[in-house]
Amino acid sequence: MRPRPLLSIRGLRKVFPFTGGFHTVLDGIDFDVEEGEFICFLGRSGCGKTTLLKILAGFLLPNAGRVRLAGKPVTGPGPERCFVFQEDALFPWLTVAENIGFGLRGRARDRASRRKAVDRYLSMVGLSGFGEYLPHEISGGMKQRVALARVLILEPRVLLMDEPFASLDAQTREEMQELLQSLWRQLSHTILFVTHDVHEAVILADRVLLMAKDPGCIRETVPIGLPRPRGREDAAFLGLCRTLHTALREGA
Amino acid sequence: MAESSARNWRRRILLPGLIPAFVLLAWVWVARTECIPGYLFPPPEEIGRAALDYLFGGTGEGPYAGRFLRDAWSSLFRVGCGFLIAAGLGVPLGVLSGRVATARRLMGSTINGLRAVPGISWLPLAMVWFGIGMRTTVFLVALAAFFPVYLNAAAGARQVNPLLLQAGAMMGVRRLRGTFSILLPAAMPHIVTGLRLGLGISWAYLVLGELTGVPDGLGAVIMDARMLGRIDIIVVGMILIAVMGRASDLLLTSTLRLCFMSVRRMQ
Repeated sequence: MRPRPLLSIRGLRKVFPFTGGFHTVLDGIDFDVEEGEFICFLGRSGCGKTTLLKILAGFLLPNAGRVRLAGKPVTGPGPERCFVFQEDALFPWLTVAENIGFGLRGRARDRASRRKAVDRYLSMVGLSGFGEYLPHEISGGMKQRVALARVLILEPRVLLMDEPFASLDAQTREEMQELLQSLWRQLSHTILFVTHDVHEAVILADRVLLMAKDPGCIRETVPIGLPRPRGREDAAFLGLCRTLHTALREGA
Repeated sequence: MAESSARNWRRRILLPGLIPAFVLLAWVWVARTECIPGYLFPPPEEIGRAALDYLFGGTGEGPYAGRFLRDAWSSLFRVGCGFLIAAGLGVPLGVLSGRVATARRLMGSTINGLRAVPGISWLPLAMVWFGIGMRTTVFLVALAAFFPVYLNAAAGARQVNPLLLQAGAMMGVRRLRGTFSILLPAAMPHIVTGLRLGLGISWAYLVLGELTGVPDGLGAVIMDARMLGRIDIIVVGMILIAVMGRASDLLLTSTLRLCFMSVRRMQ
């Protein structure tokens, strides 16, 4: 018998009302995620990939279907499924260190060990020495590092990332992709990552779930068998990118 | 260092003082030309004398000598009581109706209806209910200051970035803690605006309440001086209200900065 998957999604369907009718955003979504896997949802805008991720986070409820984490149904947001937003969602009145420690405040831990944990995650995302800065005093890339640290510190079972690097410049984005890969190797998280960027998906993912729209569904599952670390200039890498790029264009 | 302190002086003292200084000069000039008779528009030195007498004169030396401290204290106390009632009701009710649709539907129409009734038209009723003096004034002040506090708190709570609340929920923050650690700090800039507007209006309604014949208070002094034709004292009273209004605004903002991290860091 196969071991039970960490995350199992069955028959997911989501309908949004709009002026004058209903729009089926997602329909017939089925997939499993194994522990420690890195999954990328690749699709063009409007295919419902963010909606799918928000359902997994528990921010939205599906109209039909079921999400189970380790066998237990997901009914709302919780720290075992942490979310990294596309936009800046840090608390502007808290310093970088306080933002990172925010999720620990409700947990029974003393101040000293909390501070130690914050320092550890600060250095893990390369922000040692920036703990006392306020969010408006740091750059967009640094903000996303903080956003990453504040969820990693909660040791979630699943990390949900909604185009977290989309608004960064190309160099910063590559840096962040490297950082995320090295963190993933260290901490062996399960990551579900939404993107519209083919290169990003092929660099990061174990498996790419290619999405199509109207209604949003998973059209194809593409395993990325490339060894890590992956070179952005390798022929195999570029070949896969080209294949996925073509598939993405045909799917629309 | 020297340069920066010079710039600081320019920014903090010179610039804010520029308009008052200009007005004072224009006033002196108008008084010199004597195109307006002195009994309608006294020259500044006369006002200065009246102010010194009112502020520091020994009691009994004249009708207004040395009354300032007692008047200021009474007025300040009335404003303080009325404003605290307004803030104590306005902030929680505002935040509640900004976040909870049921509360908004329950209170919205009533409060906006009441808001349309000018504060001054409550005066006759307030005098019948509370008599003349402290309680009427506090009632009027609280009533008038409530609306800006309530409306801004509601707007602030409604406009809180939903991502912040989602982020909190994702990090396992429950509703009560979320209210105090996310919702209120995020709405704080609006709440502060509402409180400052409310405090400003408090002074306006203070004078209204004190015009009704109370023995002490800055508004009472102005009304009293009108009866006796003492234009100088009227002007002194108005200037002192301006000064105390500005001072109380500074006190409010610095108290809020002292008490709330979100106020310190987001302005």
